Amino acid sequence: MRLLRRFLEQVGSMMDPEALKIDSKRFTLSPELGRRRFSRENLVYAGTYLGRNRRLFEPSSLLLQMLAAEEGTRKVHLDRDAAWLFVCGRDIFEENVKRVEGVLELGRYYLVMFDGRCVGYGRYETSAGIRVIRNLFDLGDFLRREGSG
Amino acid sequence: MVVSREEANKQFFLDRYRMLGHRLTGDEKTPQVIRVNTVKTSDAELLKTLTGLGVKLAKVPYLDHGYVAEESQYAAQTLAPSAGDTVLDMCAAPGGKTTQIAAIMGNRGLLYAVDADMGRIYALENNLERCGVDNCLVYHGDATSLDLGTRFSKVLLDAPCSGNYVTDPSWFRNRSIMDVQRNAETQRKLLIAAMRRLEPGGTLLYATCSLEPEENELNMEWLLRNHHVTLVEISGPGERGLTEVFGQKLGEELSKCHRFWPDTNHTQGFFLAKVVKT
Repeated sequence: MRLLRRFLEQVGSMMDPEALKIDSKRFTLSPELGRRRFSRENLVYAGTYLGRNRRLFEPSSLLLQMLAAEEGTRKVHLDRDAAWLFVCGRDIFEENVKRVEGVLELGRYYLVMFDGRCVGYGRYETSAGIRVIRNLFDLGDFLRREGSG
Repeated sequence: MVVSREEANKQFFLDRYRMLGHRLTGDEKTPQVIRVNTVKTSDAELLKTLTGLGVKLAKVPYLDHGYVAEESQYAAQTLAPSAGDTVLDMCAAPGGKTTQIAAIMGNRGLLYAVDADMGRIYALENNLERCGVDNCLVYHGDATSLDLGTRFSKVLLDAPCSGNYVTDPSWFRNRSIMDVQRNAETQRKLLIAAMRRLEPGGTLLYATCSLEPEENELNMEWLLRNHHVTLVEISGPGERGLTEVFGQKLGEELSKCHRFWPDTNHTQGFFLAKVVKT
């Protein structure tokens, strides 16, 4: 929970989900699923996937969508061209950010938004003297991950 | 004249299909398909977005949310699960039907997905995440022996099978009648496990993408003989199940099964049977 909480703080979320642990993965159960009894033996996935612990917490796209719906989380909004580059795995130059919810602070995480939905997230940082939103995850990953997995 | 193994196999299987009433060429192709993920969007919303991007789609008349034609979507649709069901998808990975079942259930109720192959479970997990499914429990293990500690009102057994040549260009090179017989045996073991897990009155939907009667009608005939089940008629496009196979008469009720043929239905081969445990 420690890494998950730290991630939530980084994007400015007030969420405090009750997480089910399966190895390094974290899940949360809907009230309906939470009321049911089920075997934990050989269970590898349950309910809503939040993400997994590696060196840092890696959020799932589902968690990002939940955070995008939460008021007060840090967000940057992109236009179509910048969003397209982002879902192809590219970082975003600061000047290509159309709008910011919250304040841009170096080292913070930001949900990356296009057309009202979250397409990934990144960290605001300086790279070779240029300020960018470093791409940490984008939805294009679904097309890339199984090919390289 | 020397005939390659692939050619000989092709002729052998095409002759079998001819005896089942279908003049196939072995070169039939089917179009690609999409299913609208109703967990995340609606038909109208997605069509608007895609039309705006210049993509034109044709609705498949017999599929609730299918555009341009995938008969395998018909399996979950025929099982017709609801939010009140506890559903088991026995050979679930990579999860195309699992995510469709979740969508039909409105992402409610309880959906168990089992698969023996951890590599394929990785794909299943990705699909559950991508499609926003949150009513599913995934178990790694052999569906014939795994103890899930519960019984189910609906079971989908999309059984491992010999497949068919329409989706696999190397099918005639790599398949023999021995594979068909071996798969039929495995499918019977899975059917036994499915019956054990099903509550009385519960429904099993058995599906394969094989054209071979040993994996289809003959397995259903065996199930009817050895278990307390009744076959439920599947209507809609496609054709009735076979009641005569290579000169052998089968029970008339097997016509309640359902088949899709590449020549007459312009889809890949597909077989469905729906039974209720009595």
